[in-house]
Amino acid sequence: MIVCVAVVGNQNNPVYLQSFTEADDALKLHHIVHCSLDVIDERVNNPKRSGPTLNETFLGLLYPTENYKVYGYLTNTKVKFIMVTTDLDVKDADVRNFFRRFHAAYVDAVSNPFHVPGKKITSKSFAERVSVIVKSFGSTAA
Amino acid sequence: MDPLKTYLGRLVLEELTPVVMVLTTPLVEDSCRKNGLGFVDMLLPFSVFKKFDVPVRTVNDQPYRLQMFKLRMVYASDVRQPNYEAAKEHLKQVVHDSGEKALSDLLSDPPQLETVLSNSESDLCPQWIQTFNKELIRTLSFSEHETFDHPVACLLVVSSKDEQPINKFVDIFNTNQLPSLLNDGLMDPKILKHYVLLHDNQDSSPEKATHILAEMRNTFGPNDCKLLCINSATEDVNNKGFSSVPYKTHGFLGEDIARCLNLEDLKSIKDFMQDLNSNHIIPFMEQKIRILNQQVATTRKGFRNQIKNLWWRKGKDDLPEDPSGSTYTFSSIETQIRILGDYAFILQDYELALSNYRLLSTDYKLDKAWKRYAGVQEMSGLCYFMLDQSRKEAEYCMENAFSTYLRVGSSGQRYASRCGLWWAEMLKARAQYREASGVYFRISIEEPSLHAAVMLEQAAGCYLLSKPPLLRKYGFHLILAGNRYYISDQIKHAIRAYRNALFVYSENAWSYINDHVHFNVGRWYGFLGMFDVAINHMLEVLACGHQSLATQSTFLNDFFHFVQRLGKSFDVCKLQLPVINLFSLKIVYEDHRTYASTADVDVTESLWQALEEEMVPVSTVRANWLDSQPKSSSRKDDDFSICVAGEAVKVEVELKNPLQISISVSSISLICELSASSEASTIDRSVSSAEVQEDTNLMKTSFCSDQKGENSSFTLSKIDVELGGGETKRVQLEVTPKVEGVLKLVGLRWTLSDSVVGYQHFETDAKKKHKKGKRSKHSWKSSLNLIVIKGIPKLEGRVDGFPTKTFAGDLRLLMLSLRNHSEYSLKNIRMKVSHPRFLIPANSADIHEDFPQCLEKQRQMENKDASGNAKNLSRSAFFSFPNDVTIRGGETFSWPLWFHSGSSGNISLYMSIYYEMEGGSSDMTYRTLRMNYNLEVLPSLDISFLISPWPSRLQEYFVRMDVVNRTISETFLLHQLSCVGNQLVISALPSCNSICSMQEIFAGQTLSCFFKLKVLMTGEKNEESVQGSDMLLSSAISNDMLLDVSRSPLSDFHYQERYHQGKLVKGYQSLLDFIMISKMVSSNLDSEEGPNQLLLSNHACHCSISRTSPIWWLMDGPRTIYHEFSSSFCEIDLQLTIHNCSNSLVSIRVATFDSMLETTQSSDAVHLSDNSNDQGGWYDVSLTNDIKLISNVQGSRSQKRLSESTPPFVWSALSSTQLAMEPASTAKLPLKIFVFSPGTYNLSNYELHWKIQPQGEGITDEVKNKSSSGLGQGHPFYLTVLQAP
Repeated sequence: MIVCVAVVGNQNNPVYLQSFTEADDALKLHHIVHCSLDVIDERVNNPKRSGPTLNETFLGLLYPTENYKVYGYLTNTKVKFIMVTTDLDVKDADVRNFFRRFHAAYVDAVSNPFHVPGKKITSKSFAERVSVIVKSFGSTAA
Repeated sequence: MDPLKTYLGRLVLEELTPVVMVLTTPLVEDSCRKNGLGFVDMLLPFSVFKKFDVPVRTVNDQPYRLQMFKLRMVYASDVRQPNYEAAKEHLKQVVHDSGEKALSDLLSDPPQLETVLSNSESDLCPQWIQTFNKELIRTLSFSEHETFDHPVACLLVVSSKDEQPINKFVDIFNTNQLPSLLNDGLMDPKILKHYVLLHDNQDSSPEKATHILAEMRNTFGPNDCKLLCINSATEDVNNKGFSSVPYKTHGFLGEDIARCLNLEDLKSIKDFMQDLNSNHIIPFMEQKIRILNQQVATTRKGFRNQIKNLWWRKGKDDLPEDPSGSTYTFSSIETQIRILGDYAFILQDYELALSNYRLLSTDYKLDKAWKRYAGVQEMSGLCYFMLDQSRKEAEYCMENAFSTYLRVGSSGQRYASRCGLWWAEMLKARAQYREASGVYFRISIEEPSLHAAVMLEQAAGCYLLSKPPLLRKYGFHLILAGNRYYISDQIKHAIRAYRNALFVYSENAWSYINDHVHFNVGRWYGFLGMFDVAINHMLEVLACGHQSLATQSTFLNDFFHFVQRLGKSFDVCKLQLPVINLFSLKIVYEDHRTYASTADVDVTESLWQALEEEMVPVSTVRANWLDSQPKSSSRKDDDFSICVAGEAVKVEVELKNPLQISISVSSISLICELSASSEASTIDRSVSSAEVQEDTNLMKTSFCSDQKGENSSFTLSKIDVELGGGETKRVQLEVTPKVEGVLKLVGLRWTLSDSVVGYQHFETDAKKKHKKGKRSKHSWKSSLNLIVIKGIPKLEGRVDGFPTKTFAGDLRLLMLSLRNHSEYSLKNIRMKVSHPRFLIPANSADIHEDFPQCLEKQRQMENKDASGNAKNLSRSAFFSFPNDVTIRGGETFSWPLWFHSGSSGNISLYMSIYYEMEGGSSDMTYRTLRMNYNLEVLPSLDISFLISPWPSRLQEYFVRMDVVNRTISETFLLHQLSCVGNQLVISALPSCNSICSMQEIFAGQTLSCFFKLKVLMTGEKNEESVQGSDMLLSSAISNDMLLDVSRSPLSDFHYQERYHQGKLVKGYQSLLDFIMISKMVSSNLDSEEGPNQLLLSNHACHCSISRTSPIWWLMDGPRTIYHEFSSSFCEIDLQLTIHNCSNSLVSIRVATFDSMLETTQSSDAVHLSDNSNDQGGWYDVSLTNDIKLISNVQGSRSQKRLSESTPPFVWSALSSTQLAMEPASTAKLPLKIFVFSPGTYNLSNYELHWKIQPQGEGITDEVKNKSSSGLGQGHPFYLTVLQAP
């Protein structure tokens, strides 16, 4: 199950963060997302480590925490997508697919002329769309 | 890299050292106690041998030298595994002590990014953490599965005071008191024994001691006995400080430390230790290694032994492992190997140690003795490290050991931590910080929270040290550490951890985390009773609009709680509640420009300036007191604004509550500084210096301004506001300076919930904004400094009864009242109005008259000055009040104004009133009062006029008036129609007495009326005067008087209307103006109850006469003639009067023809249709047509009759006449017909061909527009010829 998805702007500012758990763990998820930015930075700044996947937007598994797996995705405009899941057995293809759909949704959301770039996304339709994508991820993985 | 130079290398050399078990008698301890030390403590400084350099030989006789060595002196009672709880308590104490020391740091500012990055490793991993690590490792000593903690030697100490010292030596090595390790058989009891006789020189002379020593030597052997003399110092002060030095470095602090020891004593102790070490312990270990190596070689080395061993172990497989591990006694070969390895390790022969550990690890693995296996792995990892070989191997061993320990379960957990610490240090030594922090994190998972906290803090430090620094992880781990510190009651450490993490989150709006950190730091400071710091942190989270309601209230409650606990009034600069929107800051001050209401200030200054252009004297525009300093005045004017003493400066600012909870904000007021005018010359300096100081002593300035406020050089207004959740309110604050000088608006202060005083300073923020970019053109920064001068008293003005909503054409009398509150009188009052079309000043006489009766036609027409006035007003709308008008102090002055709403729409009216002070000296010469009224004018009646020439009359016109009521619900009563112009007389049509059947026109109704207009051909045209004829429309209400349109204000307004409508109309022909006056019957306008009846005057100007041809003609002649046809045919003279109405020369040809009937008829038809076309979309059967029809009927009848006969008459003389006519000239053309028989004839069979002659340069537009030539059919003219009786 996906616990949390987040969009982080190119200044490493949180643009969108949505958790999908009932528990009040927003703070924890904020921390996890915030921490994973370090890993993203590292991967982006040391391209030799990623090697052949230089132009790959999908960053793969960022780091496993105690109970979560964190996946990352970097767009061409240095906007980061971060997904936190509790599934321990996740196929990379599923995650890629998820991020592709999420990216499309994000692009649509920021194409809104009333959206201020770099500010938080408050669009309801974006939130709905994301939750649909998240739910569908759960179903295919299960 | 030399492993020995690393921290881990030193740690290993210090910690993994031979243990010397110490057994003492109580008297020994007593002697030592005199120095404030135990026996072990006394020896401690001398148990480290730094520059040692002792030659050692390996088992293979390879010589090498030991550089550094250390002995661990331990009381026998301590040679056991410490109790877990006690160990925990001990560690807690270590942490707690360090926390106490760190307290002073907590008062300083939290670290910033730069300082943290520049920190070295030692800063990040302070001494106490290293101590903690050491202590953690020490708590695990004397374990049963390791042997390096097993005592190598035993020191038996007996005092010379003891009775029978020899027996004592035997007694204390009694098995009952020995550690369990020895008793349980885990350790070889045959260890090196060393006998020491301690002699206290204070008690007796050393003779007795030497005697006992000799005895000892006899009993225990000559080499193993020693005499140690202490306390030989007399009470010599000089000595004392010096001898305690070595102890102080080991942490023994106190007055009486080493009090009785002199240098001799210290030297003897040192020699003793040296001897013990190099002559006994090391040779003993060397020897033991050789023996053990021999044993191991015979039993285990070689192919045969390995096979045997393997087979033997296989057989043991079935046996369950004893959890206590007692299967391996000291005599078992495994323990022997282990001892061999450990001894080799201690003697720094790592090759030998490693080979033995390797050998052992396979054994333990086969035995599934996991804990021992892990221990061996751990040691081999350290060996690899110390040899600086194969990093991979070392790491593999450590990882293996770590995970194996964890697998063992609870008993292995602590060892896992220890192993992890080695491991992490190893990684750190190789600059693999990220991996190290990973290890620390793994340790923290298994440890109790306090230990975990320390581990996490170290992990955080490692993240910071890694290249590039992983700041976010650093922050995260610090937060985790802080949290665990908090759980384990180490609040100071928790605060420290959180504070160190603060800078990570301060960037980039990670507000959830930032709030959490600040809130907790604040809360914990609160727990410590440091409320001021607590509040500072709490302030950061107050404006947490993004948090949930519950969180917000928690934050607020805690904040107020701390504020209360602090107990005193608390001043906060830049309090975030409520949010002050500095962009909304607006300062309203009045210099020579004053405003009737605050709304008027919003009007653009240029508009006012344009309005006042003519009124305000140019030379005195910069009329302030600085004029006396002409050079500097211009510059200072740019920098400072001017306000007048005694008048309030208003500051408007927006307050926003970002929370969902409502907050109460009370006593909002400005912070101001007023420096007296004597300092005026130093304004520039003081202001600039004030700006510099601003940041440093914000509080100070605010306090001193507070005091000034009490000094009452100015007064401040205070406002209380309750802000609901998410609400934004705009407040207006006032400051009234009382003396001249420089008023500086410093900032804003308010009280939040009656407990916290917040400050917000304008200037500092303004500077920032200016740096960011040009936000606003008029920078209000400059206007924060106001020059207070002594001014002219302010005049307050308003227009009474000014409507906000009215109908077009509304005419009413308003009253301008000006009030002078001061005691000085004002003079030279002038006024200017932006829209003279709407508002004109009336005569002072009008004030006494009733409205609208005053408008009615007067008996006498003496008011000729009105028209003169109008001329001026039509352009400039400038009005000077009579010179004798002065407004004395405390008086209210009234002046009537005429209001007329000319056109519909939304209109802003601006008025500016200029005045000067009578006598008296002031810094100002004049002031202006500006008033602005907004007005919505609704459409009322639309009138349009159509004027067409009267076909059968000369100089007479036929006027149709169309009136449409454009309102929704109003009913108007038509009152009067006036035609403006000297030569024009308007009257009802002759045929009908009442002009229209009704005078009331209802909402949406359309009405048409018809009038006759006659041009009087007399006199010169005088376009400027409003003369004309009036006609009362409301015949029923005949008691109403006609209103005089030639008098003010109607005439004035009419000029305005004419001027404005003239802009709209393109051409100008002979134009007519009409004024329609109506009354509103019932006013649904709720706005005001002004005059009892609304009077409307609608002006329709520049109505043109619609005509098709430039000429106008009329046939004239007898109508009825009696003639004796029998005698001759009848000869009749007629006259055709032709008038050229156009402005140009027209040539006219009159053609008569004895017509065919068809042409007449057709032309008649054409004429008819033309006539109807002229109506321009008017389809109703009108009166004109009625008249026409009648005549036509007659005409056609006669024509029918005539049609059968021959042409009944012929035109005599020429068939066509040519003549040219000057503009506006009249010509008479005689005509003659011959009639042959009696009858009625229509003499319309003639045509007028006209052609406009171009007049050289005078080709006007209208000529171009109109056709230059045309044809006019003859008008019907009926002539009846009768047979003379």
